[in-house]
Amino acid sequence: MNQSEQSPVDVVAMTGIAKSFGGVTALEQVDFFLHKGEIHALLGGNGAGKSTILKILSGVHRPDQGEVRINGKTLQEHTPEAARRLGIAMIFQEMSLIPSLSVAQNIFLTREPKGSFGMLDDRAALKKARVLLERIGVKLDPRRRVENLSAGQRQLTEIAKALSQEASILIMDEPTSTLSVAEIDHLFEFLDRLKRSHASIIYVSHRMEEIRRISDRVTVIRNGRNVMTSAIAETSLDAIVEQIVGRRIGAFERKARQRKAGQEILRVSSLSAKPRPVQADLTVHGGEIVGIAGLMGSGRSSLARSIFGMQPIVSGELRVKEKSVKISSPAAALKAGIAMIPEDRLTQGLVLQHSVASNLTLPLVSRLSRYGFMQESAERDLVREYTKQLRIKAASPEKSVRTLSGGNQQKVVLAKWLAVKPVVLVLDEPTAGVDIGSKTEIVEIIREFADRGNGVIIISSEPAELLALSDRILIMANGRIVREISSEEIEGWAPGATDSAHRISSMEKGLQVAIQQEQR
Amino acid sequence: MMDEKLDVPADNTSFFRRALEEWRQYVIYAGFIAIFIFFSLTLSSKGFLDPNNLLNIVRQTAMIAVMAVAMTFVLSAGEIDLAIGAVAGLVSVTTAMALAKFGLVGGICCGVLTGIAVGVVNGLLTTRVGIPSFLVTLAMMGIARGTAMWISNTAAIPILDRNYYFSFGSGNFGPVPVLLVWALVVGTIGHVALRKTSFGRRVLASGGSETAARFTGINTRNIKLQVLIISSVAAAVAGMLYAGRLRSGRFQLGEGDELSVIAAAVLGGTSLFGGFGSVIGSIVGALMIGLINNGLILMGLEFSQQLIARGVIIILAVTVARSRR
Repeated sequence: MNQSEQSPVDVVAMTGIAKSFGGVTALEQVDFFLHKGEIHALLGGNGAGKSTILKILSGVHRPDQGEVRINGKTLQEHTPEAARRLGIAMIFQEMSLIPSLSVAQNIFLTREPKGSFGMLDDRAALKKARVLLERIGVKLDPRRRVENLSAGQRQLTEIAKALSQEASILIMDEPTSTLSVAEIDHLFEFLDRLKRSHASIIYVSHRMEEIRRISDRVTVIRNGRNVMTSAIAETSLDAIVEQIVGRRIGAFERKARQRKAGQEILRVSSLSAKPRPVQADLTVHGGEIVGIAGLMGSGRSSLARSIFGMQPIVSGELRVKEKSVKISSPAAALKAGIAMIPEDRLTQGLVLQHSVASNLTLPLVSRLSRYGFMQESAERDLVREYTKQLRIKAASPEKSVRTLSGGNQQKVVLAKWLAVKPVVLVLDEPTAGVDIGSKTEIVEIIREFADRGNGVIIISSEPAELLALSDRILIMANGRIVREISSEEIEGWAPGATDSAHRISSMEKGLQVAIQQEQR
Repeated sequence: MMDEKLDVPADNTSFFRRALEEWRQYVIYAGFIAIFIFFSLTLSSKGFLDPNNLLNIVRQTAMIAVMAVAMTFVLSAGEIDLAIGAVAGLVSVTTAMALAKFGLVGGICCGVLTGIAVGVVNGLLTTRVGIPSFLVTLAMMGIARGTAMWISNTAAIPILDRNYYFSFGSGNFGPVPVLLVWALVVGTIGHVALRKTSFGRRVLASGGSETAARFTGINTRNIKLQVLIISSVAAAVAGMLYAGRLRSGRFQLGEGDELSVIAAAVLGGTSLFGGFGSVIGSIVGALMIGLINNGLILMGLEFSQQLIARGVIIILAVTVARSRR
């Protein structure tokens, strides 16, 4: 830390913060302090409570208990406007810029300089934008339209917009996930300069290497508590990962699966698409579950989308049961026996307003119809069979899927694809946003599917989920498959551990470290 | 214990409760009956209930109903077709010209082919070039109307073929006007296609969530192409019916119909944003518009007043139907 001898000033002081949502505790008794002129990394697994803290700080949520002080003043009203007035700016991952407006117009949106008769003075805005960009050292022509900028330039514009509103505290959530390596370097230099001009930054990321490089201190949140705050120089990667993983009792348990050496079901050879994946090779055998791990933006989802034909393949070959197949569209993938549970069930997996029954039967409308007419009794039987088998809780199959819980919605997506009877199932984040009970059930459904001799590829950012299911795990980084971890190696991470919670958390730590090692 | 919940039959809730929950879906039918009763009581002395008057309403709305059936598919798939009125006018002209030259079969073929051609162009521009259907069909409206004016020299082209004008618009089977038969046939086909076929399912899914439909392996571009072709062909049929009814092809026929058709579909519960559609609702919507027009005329309102009253009634009806969400 480049702080002088006097003790650091806290620009943010959150004390005794507690928050629960409908009886579920998100945070309890959390203290969090941000020093002036520091970059403070905030870490934690999915659902640990990171984003709740940030939302309380930026005024989106009101804490049930505790006090938030920003720049020495207590946050009275918990609204985003009040937090902004005290100097908080949230830099959104999904950028809040209007693509059709220029950089200058975006920076001063709703605060445009006015000329005579209250007319907008674009020239003054341009001049002010130039001065601002100059001051913070961003080389960018403020006349350019945002839609023509690169992701990195958009991010800098977003930051400039925040700083123009007199923000002194920036919150950045995974700012590098969409940036190229050169852009990341540029961003870090920039953040370093901002820091030296006494801005304070809260930095959320899963990339340990970045955090080591840029931050001064680190705080880890687990199960709604602050379990660690430490100077980065005084801790190690292992210690941080240990704290992130903790010893939680989750829905996941790694079960030994007796693997018959099945025949090859899917072979992907040097598959490339734009911009990711790059030259990916993988094979899946009958009865096998292959996990794919990696950080956000590593190309996991792109690989899945390419295999399923949602993203055009540039080069490479796919073989299903040793027969070469050409996957040009999801329809072609389905014909070849590949089905996919997409990442976002709300937009990609389901037609939300439609009923459980019509969502479930949608991929099968041709098979369920004769001469184009739907066979209603066959349809009803199918829906009954799968709602029962997957224990989908819905008042009636005619109810809109919108009314179902996240877990049941995801089961409808699963049912829809299991009914197609694929030989390869690709799952992208199959249990994201799903309650613990349904998680366990979904894991069981996936195991059963594989046990019937089918192949499964599972992508997840939740290590415990991958470890619970996978026979092998492939690690992706920068669009490439960079490492393969065998079952023996996974078991080797938890030598002699007996109780399952301890076992899975030791393995989780092993996997986290392995993922981080592959980042350059 | 989860299975217990599953075994609860869907119809367990009383009919009354379900009706109450979903009454808004039926508001169009209730509204239709209410307006009908209102006009019956107030306008009976002016001949509203006269069978001839009622059949006239049917004759006047048949073309709107035919186009509204197709529009139900277009809107359900998340697209729109503004060119239908102009296409009806164009087809009335091309059919009349071909009838004079090539006879009955040639005339009918020419009309249908005109519709298919326009639909293919609309569909390809929308799905392959990626121009929103709103813009494509707005432009096509001008092109079709202009072409009709140009090839007909803005003159009406008479139709002398008796078989043609009997079967397309002017004829009656006993008391039943042939136009009613057309509307019923098209409506039945449309209803079955939307509710009972795999094609209908794909249309609703494409409009309900295009991303999810694509992830499900549905070729949403082809669905949208097909739907726009169906719409133009329906407009062609409507144009041929207009031509048969007036025994001539005129470029003005069908002018402004696109708005009545869209209003009919939306009144009937079809979503402007895709994903929901009801063919029966669209037909009742079309009848309701015809009913309102007829009633307002019988009331002796001036044309200007009719326009205002019609607009207000449509906004009211759609407001009630929409508050569903």
